[in-house]
Amino acid sequence: MQKKLTLGFFFALFLFTTFLPIVWMFGSSLSEDGGFSFVYYRDIFLTQRYVRVILNSLILATITTALSSLAGIPAGFFLAKTNLPLKNVFKICFLIPFIIPSYIVGIAWANLLGRTGFLNTLLSHYTPLSPESISNFMYSLYGASFILSINLFPVVMLMTEYALKNINPRLEESGLIAGSIFQVVRQITLPLIAPAILSSMMIVFILSLSEFGIPSLLQVNVLTTQIFTQFSAFYNEKAATAIAFPLIAITIMLMIVEQVYFRGKSFEILGRRASHGTIRYQERWLTVIGILFCTFIFILCVVVPLTTLMVGSKTVSAYYDAFNLAKNGIKNTILYGSLGATFLTVVGFFLGYLSEKVQSKLRNSIAPFIWLFFAVPATVIGVGLIKVCNRPEGIFQFIYGSLWIIILGYGARFLPLSSRIMANYFKQISNSTEEAGIVMGASWFRILKKIVVPLQGYGIVAAWLISFIFCVGELGTTILVYPPGHETLPITLFTVMVNSPADIVSALSLIIVGMTLLPLGIFLAISRYFLTMEAKVSRVLR
Amino acid sequence: MNVLEVKHVIKILGKKEVVRGVSFEVERGQLLAILGPSGCGKTTTLRMIAGLEVPDYGEIWIDGALASRNQKIVMSQKERHIGMVFQDLALWPHMTVYKNIEFGLKTIGLTRAERQKKIEAVLDKVNMKKYANEYPARLSGGQQQLIAIARAIVTEPKLLLMDEPLSNIDVQLRDDIRKEIKRIQQETGITTVYVTHDQEDAFLLADKIAVMNEGVVEQIDSPEEIYFSPGSLFVANFIGESNTIPARIVDRDKVVTPWGELSCKTNGHERGDAFLFFRPHQVQIEQNGFYEGVIMKQEFIGGRYRYYIGIPQGEIKCYNQKIYRIGELVRFSIKEAKLLFS
Repeated sequence: MQKKLTLGFFFALFLFTTFLPIVWMFGSSLSEDGGFSFVYYRDIFLTQRYVRVILNSLILATITTALSSLAGIPAGFFLAKTNLPLKNVFKICFLIPFIIPSYIVGIAWANLLGRTGFLNTLLSHYTPLSPESISNFMYSLYGASFILSINLFPVVMLMTEYALKNINPRLEESGLIAGSIFQVVRQITLPLIAPAILSSMMIVFILSLSEFGIPSLLQVNVLTTQIFTQFSAFYNEKAATAIAFPLIAITIMLMIVEQVYFRGKSFEILGRRASHGTIRYQERWLTVIGILFCTFIFILCVVVPLTTLMVGSKTVSAYYDAFNLAKNGIKNTILYGSLGATFLTVVGFFLGYLSEKVQSKLRNSIAPFIWLFFAVPATVIGVGLIKVCNRPEGIFQFIYGSLWIIILGYGARFLPLSSRIMANYFKQISNSTEEAGIVMGASWFRILKKIVVPLQGYGIVAAWLISFIFCVGELGTTILVYPPGHETLPITLFTVMVNSPADIVSALSLIIVGMTLLPLGIFLAISRYFLTMEAKVSRVLR
Repeated sequence: MNVLEVKHVIKILGKKEVVRGVSFEVERGQLLAILGPSGCGKTTTLRMIAGLEVPDYGEIWIDGALASRNQKIVMSQKERHIGMVFQDLALWPHMTVYKNIEFGLKTIGLTRAERQKKIEAVLDKVNMKKYANEYPARLSGGQQQLIAIARAIVTEPKLLLMDEPLSNIDVQLRDDIRKEIKRIQQETGITTVYVTHDQEDAFLLADKIAVMNEGVVEQIDSPEEIYFSPGSLFVANFIGESNTIPARIVDRDKVVTPWGELSCKTNGHERGDAFLFFRPHQVQIEQNGFYEGVIMKQEFIGGRYRYYIGIPQGEIKCYNQKIYRIGELVRFSIKEAKLLFS
């Protein structure tokens, strides 16, 4: 009973934060003057301009997916299959562009390739390209795709690496006995990990469709920015919703395909996690290519953006000014980020439990169902939350005018993520540890407190830190819902960008980078400790 | 007095009936082994007794009180007062041995001093006293096993349930732990249900064995009865080595076998197909044996040979210390045989 009530409560909370706003929003977009109407949808699908916007979104997603794969698949291969030196350093560095908010990398590259940018000057001097054409490239769909690929290629890389490490090495060994590396990679390895790669490409495609920060920064007209404009410039929330419709339809469709087809398949082929190691190719030339390739990516994705920002911030006084300017933002970001991460961890804990540990017919449907919401664009969530909470009566008004609407926004955006993280940790703990307590007649709360929570310690810390990182960088939802005086750092950054000197913008960007990388550092530091713990624990939890 | 009564219990998982009308009872102080191949429903049955699964039909009585009837759970976990040892032991890795054992005692609300006394006593019983403050990860597999048992019996439960507790233990250790289990069970006199797929476990530990197959209890009897008088063809083939020869009943107590007509108890049947069952050691190769066959295969199994003797409709197994050539014609007799119905 305790269990049912608790889990029911948190599931209801999830429905309220994530599901309700979206459904509500669509419901209202279908009514006009109190009656049922398709008028907003008709406008969209019949207007040439909107068709162009939809196409733009698709082009952005397609190019980003292609570029991310070009960088991510080889990077994953070199990490998993060769004797690349400094492998872990490379891996962690490659995570940085994914961890720090995407628009930061955008700001850096825009500085570099903008009309007065260093690289622009260099290129226009030594090549026939004009400064305008270079700058135009940056502020175009192609530039946006380039930046977004830097942000998202780690997804492809990680999933490729994971898949490669999970192939049963015997399958490749039996090929190596008879053939060359090329043959084995082409005919055995690649087909085996193809589903995992396709799946990762699909995730990148979906995430690029719902990206708001970079298109907004580079003034590219796509669906997410269009929703924002309709809502905040024209106060036309119904039109905003109607524009969101094709976006959500496409993403949810893809998400279902990904879940049903690829996810199932990749597990089927890879089978159980192989405990017998991974084949590593020892060839010298392969290592050399790996070093060159990874260094190139490293420079492009990490060194260039971060150095640009550092050089751009010029003096210490820039940081001083930035701090002064963003004092409130920094304070809010830390506070809201912590509250958001705590909310996400607690609710994610129970949702993860629900999707992994509860035996019911619902179980198999809940997990992918929660995951679906990760694809919902931030701006859509923002509009939906305002729709639900902006009403005069009681609790809603309280939420609407306070920091809690930001927390709810974080919840709506990242609950799918935090619950997924928790679910993965729950998967590693055998049901019998809990049943041993049940048989002894302990109450569910006592079992939670004494057994489940302590065993999940690492998962809880990981979920909190990752949630915090994402909350700190959140832009798309916050920018729509934040009440006056409650702006967070990304909002400050976007506001000052228009009218502040470049050095302050760079300094602010680096402050955000610091605030996201610090938790990552903590995470890595403790994961070392927990890994040794885990090795011990796994001896007991056979 | 029966501590456990299971009556016509049925459990459906998904669309499959995994337990199909199982009934048995366990007397106070007895150890019942539920023996069967994997997937026969034995673990599910145990989990229903523990209250971890809800039966779809049937009754479970614990110590004379109704625990569950059909899909209604009458007795809570606490009221059942059961100890359980899980297949993966399920020791809590973040708690010391002491804390692991203490958990159940706290549930029943003992004071600190009482708890300490009981924990020390039970650790003494399993000879693990010096490990009280260790974490489970620092113990060997066999020691973890003993702690899991200590944790299950410390509350002096009415019933101890063990779910294949030896399946993760090295072969050499198994024997020792098995002896320990036997000793602890006898000393504490705790009524036990022990689920296993290992015949040796069942034979060495159990007062009674229930052989399960495809969700049904095929036979409940003492180990000797199970071995010498299997109640069904499945039991005969599953337990030990056996010979089963197809036979046809032609009249009351009269069957036709590959060697011709025999008289044999047919349990009242007058027509139909059956199998003639006998163990390999009930076959004796001797000069004036009743039947004739050809040695097909010879295997040395330590101290004696196993011979496969070819007969008109198949082959039979027997043991012998003497050496016979392959292809040699031998005569043999069957000391005791029984009819089984499939």
